[in-house]
Amino acid sequence: MTLSRRFSTTLGAIAILFLAVVIHILVVFGIPLNVQHSAYDNVATHGPDRQFNLLPDVRPLEEALPDLDPAMKHAACRFQLADGPILFDAGIPTTFWSIGLFNAAGEALYSLNNRTAGADRLSMLVLTPAQLSILRENPPENLEDLIVIETDEISGFALLRAYVPHQSKAESIDRALQAASCGVIS
Amino acid sequence: MTVPSPASDGTGYAETDFSVQELPLAIRPHRSRPIRTLLFLTIIVAVGTLLGIGSAYVMIEREQPLNAVSIGAWRAYPKAGTAEADPYSVAIYTRGAVVPLASGEGLALVAREDEAGNLLDPTCVYRISGQTPAARLWTLTATDGDGRLTATLPGRVQVDSQNLLRNPDGSFTISAASKPHSGNWLPVAQGANASDGLRFVLRLYDAPVTTGAALDGISLPVIERVACP
Repeated sequence: MTLSRRFSTTLGAIAILFLAVVIHILVVFGIPLNVQHSAYDNVATHGPDRQFNLLPDVRPLEEALPDLDPAMKHAACRFQLADGPILFDAGIPTTFWSIGLFNAAGEALYSLNNRTAGADRLSMLVLTPAQLSILRENPPENLEDLIVIETDEISGFALLRAYVPHQSKAESIDRALQAASCGVIS
Repeated sequence: MTVPSPASDGTGYAETDFSVQELPLAIRPHRSRPIRTLLFLTIIVAVGTLLGIGSAYVMIEREQPLNAVSIGAWRAYPKAGTAEADPYSVAIYTRGAVVPLASGEGLALVAREDEAGNLLDPTCVYRISGQTPAARLWTLTATDGDGRLTATLPGRVQVDSQNLLRNPDGSFTISAASKPHSGNWLPVAQGANASDGLRFVLRLYDAPVTTGAALDGISLPVIERVACP
């Protein structure tokens, strides 16, 4: 059978379009699987896991992570729940702070700020459902005061943002961020 | 289709080849032409691949996720960086290793154009005036066209709601320029070229409008071009 010229041109155009759509979709879905430096990897360059590491001030040409607010100071902590539940504890002397929990892919799992935290102090426990059921059998005394977050994500990171209202406050906020804890509860 | 030429070879073919000429194209015997077919398929594969990769590159490179909420010149991507994000914003955010502002923290709005629809230019002077939606704190930052901070005259790259001069009715006017201005001054890149691009990023912290639906009908500052060199 021989195809007419017009028919084979149409067929060719449809084939090109189909192939283009398939490759477009493959590329878009492939990018997240092939990134060289994810946010999760970048956080590790600022210090060891399971502790808050103060990120350098956000200044032109020396941004620790992309897209951070220069009006804020940041501290980041990478954690793996396989090592046990993680307790976040911080008291930051500023008018606004917030914390975001992200999974290894950089998706937000949970976030709160100092108003929604309901207390001046951040005390938040992150654990897996299995760890929570173990913890319930022998609850620590202050479990009611903690914000408890159950997640199935094993590894992730937290980013703590603290607003610097004035440069004179910068030092005390730095100290508070360095003193913030992000560790395995005993 | 080449038709056998009238028999010059003396085989008597010429007697019958009138019927060959009359055959419709679809049932004419197929003559394979491998080079031409191969070329045809190669062109299909090459053009299809180029189109696919090219269109994906353009979509990712312009850094504008699909499910944007736009209010005036401002764009917000409330779903970006969450599990419900569309594949384009997932690709954009993971490629840039961007840590998004989560919904419990605040909302970031980005302006790439002024109110008249012209691309922002770091050599121009802009007036940003009006009001912001209710938020406990907001900051306004100037970045280059790729979202990176740039060196400015005073070293400061942002203004925030707690260090701002306001009119009696609570509205404000901010001058965005590379040279100092009286009143609220947002310093813009020093010695930049028009091609470097300019973006304004408005971050509303602890604002009730962190979900897309609540963004309808809110008032945001208006960006007007005052002067260009």
